[in-house]
Parts: sequence; structure tokens; C-alpha cells
Amino acid sequence: MINVENITKEYALTKKQRKELQTNSTSVAAVNNVSFMCEPGRVFSLLGPNGAGKTSLLRMISTILTPSSGDIKVDGVSVIDNPQEVRRRIGFLTGSTNLYDRLTPGEIVKYFADLHGMERSVFNERKENLFEQLNINEFSKKRIGQLSTGMKQKVSIARSMIHDPSVVIFDEPTSGLDVITANSIIELIKQCKKEGKTVIFSSHIMSEVDLLCDDLAIIAKGNLIYNDTMDAYRKQSEGKSLTEAFINIVNQNN
Amino acid sequence: MKTIFTVIKKELTDTLRDRKTLISAILLPALAMPLIILGVTKLQKNLMDKEQNKQLKVALIGAPENIVSQFNDSTFLVVDDVVLAGVNDSIENGSIDALLEFDTNFNEKISTLSSGGLKLYYKSTNLLVEKRIREKLDNYTAIIMNDRIKKLNISSETLEPLSISKIDIASPKEQIGKLIGGFIPYIFIILCFTGCMYPALDLITGEKERGTLETLLTVPASRFKILIGKTITIALVGIAAAIMAIAGMFLSLKFIDDIPQDFLNVINDLLGLKFILMLFAMLIPLSIFFAGLLSAIVVRASSFKEAQSYVTPLSFVIIIPAMIALMPGVELTWQTAWIPILNIALATKEIIAGTIQSSQYLVVVGSLILLAIMAVFFSLKQFSKETMVLK
Repeated sequence: MINVENITKEYALTKKQRKELQTNSTSVAAVNNVSFMCEPGRVFSLLGPNGAGKTSLLRMISTILTPSSGDIKVDGVSVIDNPQEVRRRIGFLTGSTNLYDRLTPGEIVKYFADLHGMERSVFNERKENLFEQLNINEFSKKRIGQLSTGMKQKVSIARSMIHDPSVVIFDEPTSGLDVITANSIIELIKQCKKEGKTVIFSSHIMSEVDLLCDDLAIIAKGNLIYNDTMDAYRKQSEGKSLTEAFINIVNQNN
Repeated sequence: MKTIFTVIKKELTDTLRDRKTLISAILLPALAMPLIILGVTKLQKNLMDKEQNKQLKVALIGAPENIVSQFNDSTFLVVDDVVLAGVNDSIENGSIDALLEFDTNFNEKISTLSSGGLKLYYKSTNLLVEKRIREKLDNYTAIIMNDRIKKLNISSETLEPLSISKIDIASPKEQIGKLIGGFIPYIFIILCFTGCMYPALDLITGEKERGTLETLLTVPASRFKILIGKTITIALVGIAAAIMAIAGMFLSLKFIDDIPQDFLNVINDLLGLKFILMLFAMLIPLSIFFAGLLSAIVVRASSFKEAQSYVTPLSFVIIIPAMIALMPGVELTWQTAWIPILNIALATKEIIAGTIQSSQYLVVVGSLILLAIMAVFFSLKQFSKETMVLK
């Protein structure tokens, strides 16, 4: 479970940035007093235009960024008080594969398992299952630099899921991927839901949101402007497409 | 500790598979010194031999017969048809190498026991011309001196009031240490720095640029441990580069044909356990200092290119104190023992010469350790800032 409580993230502005933005303010809020809750066994989608604050929010949940105020609890553990414990519970996956070109899939997955402090026997069993499930075995000894984008994404998935996280964060996971690779991510999200994990993902693709989501939130300019179930959102769109409904909500709050 | 080892193991595997790092940190330092020492020595010897044996074309205007006879050998050719007005052109176009113009009263001056005047026209950029002509003129001077000693009926000692016997109490090791001792640290300091440079760019800025650093920060390991693992890896590559440079240098010295035996003995003496341990005690903190400093700087860059533009000026800052150590008269003192880079260069010079004071050596090692700790602390400060580690 993820519980976002009145979270704010401010970035200090440099002199140059202040000049560019034509403001006297010394900081800018990327996320402004946002609260929502993601429940286990449900998929929560975070929507918003570019620069709305989605990535900052996901980075705060994954403890890469520290909130300026407010708190986030992952399975009841605070990202401020115990970020290390939060990191044990989360898996983080983005559309860009972010892998080491000179290592093999086996070496990368082992590296992340070791950093998670996994027992060798648990790791071996988990790795075997993941590699089989994702068909990684056939290229597990090749270096990442020699693999296709689709193969890399499979390794990325294995790397994010090796420690069996209870919360999985997907930051635009299918952006820039071909249909087949994007589908493997969609299947992964469905499986995570089936396994009772808490899933939060940000996306610009409404068809994915429609297919996967149970709950959604829309943020714009750092503010939460919509938060409800997917069913409620569909009802609210009143025959319009989900994209049109999204644009309406964003424009109404501009 | 386990996390640090995990990071080091992964970073070393990754780094050693990188051809650019292998070239810059292992191959280049290993080959640079043999190529420089063997290549330059051979080239210099060939050039000198060529210049020494080349037939010099000399024009002699108003020269007495007993000077002309000095130039009657196969290594000189006396050219007759040269006019003084065109001397510069003649030397420039290579028709002559030098011209000697004797004063009109030269013979008269010599015969009246005075100094005969002459002008030597030559180009100082043409190697050995002046030296070889001087040798001929010195022969003539010796003949005239003998004549005058006989004529005046005096002993040669009358013209040499001082008879100096030089007794050099410096051992060959000390002499060689002072002579080349500064060059060895100059080379390994620079190669250690460049050895650290590429892995620092790859493991810090490279990870940031590729986005792998962001993923790495989602694991339950502290940033401190991740940074320490990276810093140790960078330092290890720097140490490897320095070792390769030193090994390459000693090996190439052994293969120079006409190296004096005294020099070879000193080299063999140096390669003892004591020298290696003393060198390592300085090299390890130096390398960690470079690794920490480079990490702190390159983490500010968002691209490899930007990081290179930060690091290149720094290499000049490193070279300057290493060059100062090469200057004559710059010695290891209680003051210089605290100056980074300069202190390790001067201490190595003293170690090679066998004149290092243990108290000053400890200050050098202590100051390097202090500096290494400060650099790592500084890099940690930078690494802890979220704006630094994210693209």
C-alpha cells in the first residue's frame, strides 16, 4: 500500500532559472500538497501533462527524492524516517531500460539481488523463474550492448522484480517501446495485480490506462486535480473518449 | 562492507570490459614510458651520431696556415669561394655550416703574445656546429700555449694557479636520484590521474547520463556505500595505471644498450621491498584523493562531454606542482611536505636518492591521507545532493 500524505516538493531556482521564468521566487513547487492512496491488488494510474510533477512524485515514492513537506508511507513505512526499508519493498521500472551495456543479464540481476541482500538460494530460485517466464535464458550470457530493445526491457523487468517487491512503480514504462515489448510490460502489470502487489504507474497512453487501471489521479502544475476510481472516471466522461475527458479536466483546472 | 564489495566487484567487471579504460589505464601507461625512454634515447643518439659524423662545410677568411691545417680532415670541408657579405644566406641555404673571419692583424697579435681576434658565424639551431669548430680552435690554442710557455720559459702551472681535485661525497644513488628522481613521480602522478579520470567519467557521469544511477538509488544500499565502492574502483584503476607506468619505466631503462653500470645498479637497488612499500603508502592515498576529487567534480555534469570540460583544466592543476618538483633547488622541507602533489613528487625524489627523513615522509603520507579523506567527504557531500545525481 502507498499512502501519499500532503506531499510537496520544491526545487530551488538558480538566478538564471529565475530570469528565464521571470519570477522573484527562490523556489518552485513541482508537487504541491498532494494526497492519495494506492491499495494492494489494484493498479493506480498517475496522469498529467508533461512537467505536471508525475516523475517527481514517483521519485519521492521510490525515495530517490526527499519531500520538502508531507510524508509517504509504503506498506506503513515512512520514506522520510526509513527510506532504506522502503527501498526493500519497491521495484522501479521506466521505459528507458537503464542497464549496463558491458554486463550480461545474469550479472545485472545478480548485482541488484546482492544489493537487496538476497539469500543465494532464494535468488537462484527467483532468477530461474523470472528468466524462464521472460524467456531470458536464451540470451542470458550475452552482454546487454548486444541485445535488442525488447530483450533489454525483459532484463529490466527481471532486475526490478528479482527481490519480489510488494510495491511496483512504473514511470512511463512503455514509452518508446515497440508493440510487442510494450505488451510484455502490460502483462507484467496484470500479473503484479493478480499477485496482490500495489502498482502505481504513470502514462500518457489512455488505452493502457483504460485496460489496466482500477484507480487514477490526474495532476497538473504539481496539483492533484482529480482522484477517483476508473469506473467513476468512465462514468464522468459521459460518452466522450477518455482522452477528451482528461483534456477537459486539465483545462477546467488551468 | 558486503555492499561496498558488491559495488566494487560489479564496477571492476564493468570497467575492465571497457576497451577505452583498458587503453587509457593499462596499455598506455605500460607502453608510454618504454616508448618515450627507448624511443627518445635512440632518436637522440642517432641524431647526435649523425651530427657528429656529418662533414661540416667551413669558410675561413684570413685564417693563418696552422689554423687551416686543423680543418684538414674528412669531417670538415674548407669552402673557398664565400664572400663575407653573403654569409647569412650561405649558412641559411646550407652551402656552408659556419664561417670564421680572422682579424687582419691576427698573426701579428699571436706572435706578440696577445689575443688574436676572430668572428664565428654559425646558426645555434644547427646542433654541434659550434662545439665541433671550438674543438679545432682549442687544438690550435693548445699549440700556441705550448709555444708561449716554451718562449717565456715558464711552467704550465704558472698559467693554472688552481689545481682542483673533485671529491664527490654523493653516492651514485644520490646523484642519480637527484638527476632523474623528479621525473619518475612526474610520470606516475600524471598517469595515476589520467588512470582515475576515465573510470570516474564512466562510473559517475556515464551512469547519470545513461539513467542507471537513478535505478541504482532505488536499492536498499546507502549512497555512501555506493559512492565508496565507486571511489575504490576508480582509485584501483589509478593505482594500476601508476604501477604500469613505473614498471614500464624500469623495464625500458633495463633495455637501453649503453646505460652506465652505476645507473643500472641504482635501478636494481631501488626495486626492493622497502621502495615499493614506501611508494605504495603514498600512491594509495594519492589515488583515493584523485578518485574523490574527480567524483565530486564529474557528478556535477549531466553529460560525458560536460564532465570532460570540467576535468581537462584540472589536469593542468595537477601537472604544475609535479613540474615544480623537477626544478633544481626545490627540496622536501617541512613546508613543502604539506603541499599536495608537490610533496609526493619531492618525497619520491628523496626516496630514490636514499636521503628521505622518516619524519618528513610520515608528514607526506599523513597529509595525503588527510587530503584523500577530505576529497571523499567532499564527493559524498555532492553525491548526497539530489540535484547532482539526477539528470
